[in-house]
Amino acid sequence: MSHSQAPEGLAHLFRHEYGSLVASLVRQFGIQRIDLIEDSVQDSMAQALTIWSMSTRPENPSGWLYQVTYKYILSALRKDKRQHTILYENFDSSFNESNRQVYAPLVGQMSDALLRMFFIACHESISQESQLVFTLKSLCGFSVKEISARLFISEANVYKRFNRAKKSLVKQNFVLDEITQVQAEKRMPAVYKVLYLMLTEGYLSSHPDLTIRLDLCLEAERLARILCEHPWGNKPETYALLALIHFNLARIATRENKAGLVLLADQQRDLWDKQKIAQALSYLALSAQGDSISRYHIEASIAAEHCLAESFQKTRWQNIVAAYELLESVAPSPMHRLNRALAVAENDTPEAGLKILEDADIPSWLQRSYHWYAVLADLQYRTNDTAAAVQNVNKAIELAPSQYVKDLLNQRMSRY
Amino acid sequence: MCILRSQTGECEKPSPTDMETMYARYQAWQSKFSDNILDMGGALSSDGAVVDKDGVKDGPFVEMKELIGGYMLLTANSLETAKQVIQVSPMVANSGTSIEIREISTP
Repeated sequence: MSHSQAPEGLAHLFRHEYGSLVASLVRQFGIQRIDLIEDSVQDSMAQALTIWSMSTRPENPSGWLYQVTYKYILSALRKDKRQHTILYENFDSSFNESNRQVYAPLVGQMSDALLRMFFIACHESISQESQLVFTLKSLCGFSVKEISARLFISEANVYKRFNRAKKSLVKQNFVLDEITQVQAEKRMPAVYKVLYLMLTEGYLSSHPDLTIRLDLCLEAERLARILCEHPWGNKPETYALLALIHFNLARIATRENKAGLVLLADQQRDLWDKQKIAQALSYLALSAQGDSISRYHIEASIAAEHCLAESFQKTRWQNIVAAYELLESVAPSPMHRLNRALAVAENDTPEAGLKILEDADIPSWLQRSYHWYAVLADLQYRTNDTAAAVQNVNKAIELAPSQYVKDLLNQRMSRY
Repeated sequence: MCILRSQTGECEKPSPTDMETMYARYQAWQSKFSDNILDMGGALSSDGAVVDKDGVKDGPFVEMKELIGGYMLLTANSLETAKQVIQVSPMVANSGTSIEIREISTP
């Protein structure tokens, strides 16, 4: 699918407007009416498609969409009201002024609404996986089918996660304008986590279609930028996340070629996007304020080391080893241990890398993943323990989630 | 004169991404054939009425299998050219949609 014919800035007009429209209308009509709001946004976009194609596009497409959607909602509510007058005694008086001019909110107000909605969706009563699905659907404008393709989960599962989030939001009847800075502060880690998941789901995805991998990263970038422009989100940690996003965006196109996924060591570094790397470095500089260091700071600095290294061999592995050690203390995860083992193998010896894995307390979920077997096999090959390596390669290939990963593993191990 | 007919019935709503793609296709098609497109016409709503000597039948006409959903005016030096323009249009790419091309006879 190509958007090359779309004029500049219009490539994602509908999808990007979707989230701000939903959020602005939730602010106006309440979270209780989210289904009606989402349906109406879709209807007004379908109408826009017909009308804009037949004549010219209005100067302010977003304002046009807001006004049309507003009227759809109003007429649906009126119809509803006639049917259940008693239930709607407390109607907002504005609903009754039939021909009142509807003013679309300003751009700043729309992104403020979008951000408030994002913070509301990241409430602790909602599981992380549901937060992610809700954000992708209601704020990024992806359909259930598109989310299912991007997260490698079934459509039924997407529905389930979305509905859980929605039910919880409706039950607690959140009001966008009632969320305080203190509450926002508390939810910041969850907000970052959702953005981080969008980034990694996109960047590490083994989806064969680059646009599909790219658009999750670009959504993370769009929301992170809105976040850092808002007083709630203007923080060093947000800049660190933005830096990480840009370091990854700079390299994403070289992560695959016609043959499939490409390993870091084999990527064509001269094709990395230098402008993106420069942007990432300026975000990294902005992140270096305050006195606390987050996992995003460390991950961004690891990405920076890779992006600035002339070649895989000339990478400053000692810095990467140190960064992974720090990362393990800030955000303990056996995945970081695995990465540290690989960095140690480059910096010291494969034996030293293997030793780290042998000493580690590896949880069973990781021991059932292809990652674990692949890293183990790689290090065993390099320590000339071929018999064990072959066994582990086969296990890794068996457990690999997609043909692309299987191909990558075959390609990786064929060098030994 | 091009008359657009669509099959009625519930169909899945397009996602914003689908709509972006369709909009881009419309724009590309329109700019490519801007010399041929006289008037993009308009969409026809399913509300309305049918009047004949026996009286008036009010819409919506949802019970009909096929509905005229829109019209548009083209200019072309032959029916063949008009067919080519319409064949590559984004409208006929939608399943269940057909476009009838009729020459407006001039005296």
